[in-house]
Amino acid sequence: MSTLTRRSLLKSATGIAGLGLGASVIGTPLIAQTRSLKIGSYGGYFEDSFKTHIYPAFTEATGIAVESVTQPNSSDWLITMQQATAAGSVPADISLYARDTMIKASRIGGLIAPLDLTKMPATSNLDEYFVFQGAEGPLGVGAMSWFTSMVINPDEVEPPASWAEFWDTDKFEASLGIAQRFNAQFLDITAATFFDGEETFKTKEGILAIIDKVAELKPNVALWWSAESQMEQAMKNGDVIGGQYYLDVSNLMAADGFPIKPIFPKEGNPQDYGSWCLSSLSEKGDEAAEFMNFTSDPAIQALMSRMIGTAPLVDKSKTDLTDDEFAFVSGTPAIKPAYEAYLDNETFIQENWNKMLAGGA
Amino acid sequence: MTTIDDTAFAAPPARSRPNWASGTNLILMAIGAVLIVFCIVPFGLVIAISFGQKIEGAAWEWAFTFENYQRFFVGAEWPDTVTFLYLQRLGYALWYAVIASVLAVATALPFTYLMTRLSRAAQARWLVFLLASLSLSEVFIVMGWDILLSNRSGLPALFKATGLTDWLKDVGWFDVLREWGLANPRNVKFKPSQFATILTMSYLVWPYAVILLYPALSRLDTSLIEAARTMGARPFTVARTVILPSVRLPVIGSTFLLFVFLLGTYVAITVFANPAQHTTAVSIYESVRGASLNAPFGATQAVILLITAAVFLGLGQALNRASGGAR
Repeated sequence: MSTLTRRSLLKSATGIAGLGLGASVIGTPLIAQTRSLKIGSYGGYFEDSFKTHIYPAFTEATGIAVESVTQPNSSDWLITMQQATAAGSVPADISLYARDTMIKASRIGGLIAPLDLTKMPATSNLDEYFVFQGAEGPLGVGAMSWFTSMVINPDEVEPPASWAEFWDTDKFEASLGIAQRFNAQFLDITAATFFDGEETFKTKEGILAIIDKVAELKPNVALWWSAESQMEQAMKNGDVIGGQYYLDVSNLMAADGFPIKPIFPKEGNPQDYGSWCLSSLSEKGDEAAEFMNFTSDPAIQALMSRMIGTAPLVDKSKTDLTDDEFAFVSGTPAIKPAYEAYLDNETFIQENWNKMLAGGA
Repeated sequence: MTTIDDTAFAAPPARSRPNWASGTNLILMAIGAVLIVFCIVPFGLVIAISFGQKIEGAAWEWAFTFENYQRFFVGAEWPDTVTFLYLQRLGYALWYAVIASVLAVATALPFTYLMTRLSRAAQARWLVFLLASLSLSEVFIVMGWDILLSNRSGLPALFKATGLTDWLKDVGWFDVLREWGLANPRNVKFKPSQFATILTMSYLVWPYAVILLYPALSRLDTSLIEAARTMGARPFTVARTVILPSVRLPVIGSTFLLFVFLLGTYVAITVFANPAQHTTAVSIYESVRGASLNAPFGATQAVILLITAAVFLGLGQALNRASGGAR
């Protein structure tokens, strides 16, 4: 709604001024007086929660106004930013990237500006893993993290103790919903369950062995979902009775009374996280540093866990989250995805994964 | 494209009204320029990108390599291993488009014929209704069918409530459905399946089929049908020997148009088809989007899809001409 009015306002403003030039000349001194920052986040519930709970708190603490920018997701936003950077004008100062996209951006080069960590002392609260070091220096500060969890329909099946039970056709024939994208972490789950986890990704033979193991699961998969909403509907409708899905959304759905229960089996669930990255074309480096410092604060991490359902990037003991609150967004053990392998052998993994999906049975 | 440019530059020489003629010339040149900017340039870009080079783990760069075309036919790991994955996807794109367009035209033909026999007012009402249904986007239609085929809100729920599921289990046909992938141990399931994919795709283009067939069928000379009837032909014989031959061209034409239209179906395929039966359109998006950032391979597949469509259209035209010539 707000974008609509802003658009129509801009339109009428240019209309009155007659020339776009006139409007921008009038606009400039106003912008110069207030400090502001354009921050991207994934559209929908996620962005709305940021706009309601996090940005106002930040503006209150620092006086920097935030303009929220909608990202479709992490990876497709990279294309937008890449093209915008080439064109010389970017839509956001700070973008929210998942780790694989961030590494990809750093490999492409020239898209993300290195950060000055001395300006953000609160980042010392985060585990080192969550401050990404590129060749040019620190490129991303962890924003929040999320788990992809094993989920089941508790009305239909008993909670499995291990991911391996999904391979049991007597129990799960044509009943599971698994993510269709090759890098949606089901390979990591399989590697952690049947192989040596990240180590197995180091050779092509290892990767093929993991993919072959996933192939054995095919008779049990009713839905290879590509959009989040597909899996949501399938769980609600009983089209599937188990699978992999986002922990926070699963908990929200369960709270609404839908038959879904997230499980942490003995191998654990994959943990992914998002990072704030500063665009190389942004002139708001100082404001961005203040924002990243702000979100690294354990109190804000806890606020995000409560309001948005993300897992905190700081130790639980540093926050005031209760055990229940923490269990809602996080759990152990965490499977760390083999990000580098996915990028180094991108085409190889993708093609073999698709071959596996396209094969018989 | 060249024909348009030719007309633009080889406009009829001005004779009696030079001002008017040069005006037309200007308009044609303007249209030509628009076509060049918005059609030929992007198309040229796609072709140029299709020769680009993917950088593993990053984006891509301009290059001149046939690797992407080679990958389409034998896979990226050739010559170590060979995969016909992308040919298979092209095959499915053609398969779905052929079946769905033929099905749509075959069912729309009798409907449209009966519709043209109605009163003017009734015809108008039907046409308005069909035109209105065209305003529904693919996403809406797919969503609707998704609900209709869902376990708890659609057809499977009806099967269960009416006892049909239990009956199928009793007579043993349920296991056959399970083998066909149309059931899980609890109930029948219609998605994902080829059945749901083709059903939705035909539904998607069905109104177009009616609208494309309507002009020809409404102009059909009823005296021919009446003559055949009075001479003792049965209704089926009339349909086969009088109606069908007289609308042969529009029927073939609309089938081809819908076929080309359906080659690029995306939403219905991603929602209703198993990944094993995904098409080139899905593959293109998968390549181009951020998760792989492989625009060159996406462009290659797009170029090949386009060539395939052109070949099929050419074949159709040749076939049509051959059968027309024999007459």
